[in-house]
Amino acid sequence: MKIYVFTLLLVLLATISRAQILPGTLNVTGASNITQSINDLIQEAGVDDNESSFESNFDANIVSFILDPLLNPLTLDITDSEQACTLNIFRYSVYMHTLNAPQNLIIEAKTSLNSGVRYPFSIPYDNTVDPILGPRDLYTQNGGQYIPIPNDPSVAIKVFEFIGCRTDIPIQFRAKASSLAISGTGNFQVVYTILGSLF
Amino acid sequence: MKSVIKMKKIKLVLVGMFAVLTTVRAQDVLDVSGINLLLFGGDQKSISLTVDIQPLAIVDFEPEGQLISGSGETTVEAGMPATTLGGGLPDNLWLNFTHRAINYQPARIYVSANMPLPDNIIVRAEIIETGIGGDFTANPRVGHVDLSQSEQIIVYDFGNGYTGDGLGNGYRINYTVLNPNNEPFPTGYQSIYRIGN
Repeated sequence: MKIYVFTLLLVLLATISRAQILPGTLNVTGASNITQSINDLIQEAGVDDNESSFESNFDANIVSFILDPLLNPLTLDITDSEQACTLNIFRYSVYMHTLNAPQNLIIEAKTSLNSGVRYPFSIPYDNTVDPILGPRDLYTQNGGQYIPIPNDPSVAIKVFEFIGCRTDIPIQFRAKASSLAISGTGNFQVVYTILGSLF
Repeated sequence: MKSVIKMKKIKLVLVGMFAVLTTVRAQDVLDVSGINLLLFGGDQKSISLTVDIQPLAIVDFEPEGQLISGSGETTVEAGMPATTLGGGLPDNLWLNFTHRAINYQPARIYVSANMPLPDNIIVRAEIIETGIGGDFTANPRVGHVDLSQSEQIIVYDFGNGYTGDGLGNGYRINYTVLNPNNEPFPTGYQSIYRIGN
């Protein structure tokens, strides 16, 4: 019985801790286009064309995330996003997946280490000797190399994470088209999902 | 004694929960269909992405750079003349290709010669084997082709695919030269393969 109570307490504690993460808004901009040129095609007959690849600009998408303004229900004071991001530091993980991408096409994405800009640019947290979550930096997955993005409505893969609010994070894409892929223009959706955590 | 057992159970539960949490943390993949974004202070946005993919048609022979005549070494890259006949006939030539269609239009592979031969000389090409590499639908011509300056089909309609590169991939081509009077072969004679519609 004690074990159940203990377990329940742990779960509740974890849930309450999660609930303390404040809501924020993810913003993604950019006119993304990845175009294969003649020079991007394989040069050896018999080889699948997915052994070659082609890239977008390094900033095909720009990702930003800031906390929403907060309303104090007692005083009705509003804390704006800048102040909210100054006072509340969380860790954010960014996951990506695509929807309805062409078949036989691999889409990869990456950003570079510590890309983007801290928001606000400088806050007291940055000057603490041993900040709880570490510096307000951006950390890439896979050493900053390209990561294949799942083309699945329910599965996303983590591409990077950062501490605190952050803006202007550039995302670059790379495509590998098999010879089996249909030629021409394909249009599909890239979905970004961001999750916060206290740890 | 009972308290010792209970302590062990509690430890096991704790270790189990820690292991589960660690596993979840180590996992870089997320099930986004059931995620509660509000609970995690998260958000989700989507944006359009456009990809332009080029059509592709490339064919060549393997082995490359094979010395197959007395006139010298030939280059057998795609779009170039494939063989120069004269001093000897290759017996293990493989036709490799990679193809991505324009508007789903199937492709064919044609063979022709770059010059006429004397009346008593005939050069025949025939597909005698299909490789198992790559990913393509095989549709070879059955029987030989007597080469002429007019293009003739040696591989019929096929869609997107690739044969794999090198010997043993694609189509093995066998050449036969009928030259009963042993007449001299014209200098610079070449057979030409083309992939296209």
